[in-house]
Amino acid sequence: MSVKIAGELVSGNVLIVDGLPVVVLTAQYNKSGRNAAVIKARMKNLMTNRISESVFKADDKLEGVVLDKKPCTYSYYAPPKHVFVDSEFNEYEIDSEVLADIEKFLAPDMTDVCEVTFYEERPISVTLPRTIIREVEYTEPVARGDTSGKITKSAILAHTKHELQVSAFVEIGDKIEIDTESGEFKKRCT
Amino acid sequence: MRLWVDRLTTFATLCPDVNPNAQTQRIGDVEVCHWRDDFPDVQPSDIPDVVIEAFACELPATYVAAMSRRELPPKWINLEYLSAESWVEGCHKLPSPTSGLPLTKHFFFPGVTPLTGGLIRERGLLEARAAFDEAAAERFLASLGISPRAEQELFVSLFCYENPQLPALLQCWEEGGEPLRLLVTAGAAATQVQEWFGHPFETGTSMQRGNLTAHALPFLSHDDYDRLLWTCDINFVRGEDSFVRAQWAQRPFVWQIYPQEDNAHRVKLEAFLIRYLEGCDTKVSLTQFWNAWNTQSTPSAEAQSAWLSLMADRQNLDRHARVWAGRLDRAGDLANNLVCFARELQ
Repeated sequence: MSVKIAGELVSGNVLIVDGLPVVVLTAQYNKSGRNAAVIKARMKNLMTNRISESVFKADDKLEGVVLDKKPCTYSYYAPPKHVFVDSEFNEYEIDSEVLADIEKFLAPDMTDVCEVTFYEERPISVTLPRTIIREVEYTEPVARGDTSGKITKSAILAHTKHELQVSAFVEIGDKIEIDTESGEFKKRCT
Repeated sequence: MRLWVDRLTTFATLCPDVNPNAQTQRIGDVEVCHWRDDFPDVQPSDIPDVVIEAFACELPATYVAAMSRRELPPKWINLEYLSAESWVEGCHKLPSPTSGLPLTKHFFFPGVTPLTGGLIRERGLLEARAAFDEAAAERFLASLGISPRAEQELFVSLFCYENPQLPALLQCWEEGGEPLRLLVTAGAAATQVQEWFGHPFETGTSMQRGNLTAHALPFLSHDDYDRLLWTCDINFVRGEDSFVRAQWAQRPFVWQIYPQEDNAHRVKLEAFLIRYLEGCDTKVSLTQFWNAWNTQSTPSAEAQSAWLSLMADRQNLDRHARVWAGRLDRAGDLANNLVCFARELQ
């Protein structure tokens, strides 16, 4: 545990609030006139994924925490949990509800090295690499001439059936790069 | 209702019924207690259902610890200073978890929109304001030993911090085309007016130079200060309390905001002006004059010309002041909003 001054909060800081770990998504500093400087923080509970807003005086002392992180790969889905495995073949189960944001990219054959975050030895979240590669299972054929890349169409990914917008030149069976933070198509792999 | 006050002497000036030497006393329905120390012996059973910390006071650690040991934690509200800035709406009523204790504080912001806590407006204020007519104004002036308003005479009340713009403005009034009566409140305003006249300006006396006549007022009770605001055509107010009363007075007013280092107060001033002048036909003159009046460092050359523009827009500003008070009324009043919020927290 460590002490975190509210006025120094930045996104990514992890705090203990009401006994549970929350990650700061945004921290907005407001100060004017005689009002005490006030920090408005948008935070995500790492155990439940619930997002909430709180406000602190800038000099409030908060309970900070440094979480353990470990590289793991995705193994399989055993409803309602996804299972990840580390380099020593230890398995970690995480509720699919907690992974709602990344579930669309979890495929059984994926080899991406993910980062599993632990709170008191409990796996609580998973971060995918910033860029991942996935196969397009289905997309409509491109109309002639629409190959500039500016025009988009929808495509469905293999395994997860996730639908996203891709450039018009992408074809069935193509491997594409996806930005996992925005969830957007980046480019077709050559 | 129990009110803890650290400086009872100051409080007694504002509320003459207060005995500055009493540890506890009852004023109306409120038990007033002297906040002398950091509550070394406070027990959970001493903690009320709702604890409000106001005006940036910090609760002593011993008190907070007792709050945390209470079987049912109290509702803890931090009542902030008034601001019209947009971020206030986003922070109003938000929780503020405390580190390591089973307590959550909530922030409550007074404000001028329905998305904030509103302004202090006690029961019956608007009715009393509506009933205050010319005859009542004359009676009030007479009670202060001030002769009634003559035709074409402008009445201005002055309550301000030290202000480098005041001498130029006094000169402008002295040389103005219309007679102006300046009702000067006790304290910093009277001191500066006295310096400008260069003569003693004692309570109850008047001084005249050109078209300007200044009256030195005694320290007024809250009710009498309201009557002063209702009587005058334009009110110069300062800080927070008189600023709020001037808005309910439904008269054009000029606000001197509490000055801060590095001009932090400017943002707050600008934010209020934007809200206040929404829907007003004459924004420029009021903005210019308020900005000039709040220029702290050097006398602003604009103060005199901005005053003349303000006078030209007086009718519009008069009308707008009434519209604004109606808008404020729709935001509810601070005390009632606080009670409702405390109930919401159950």
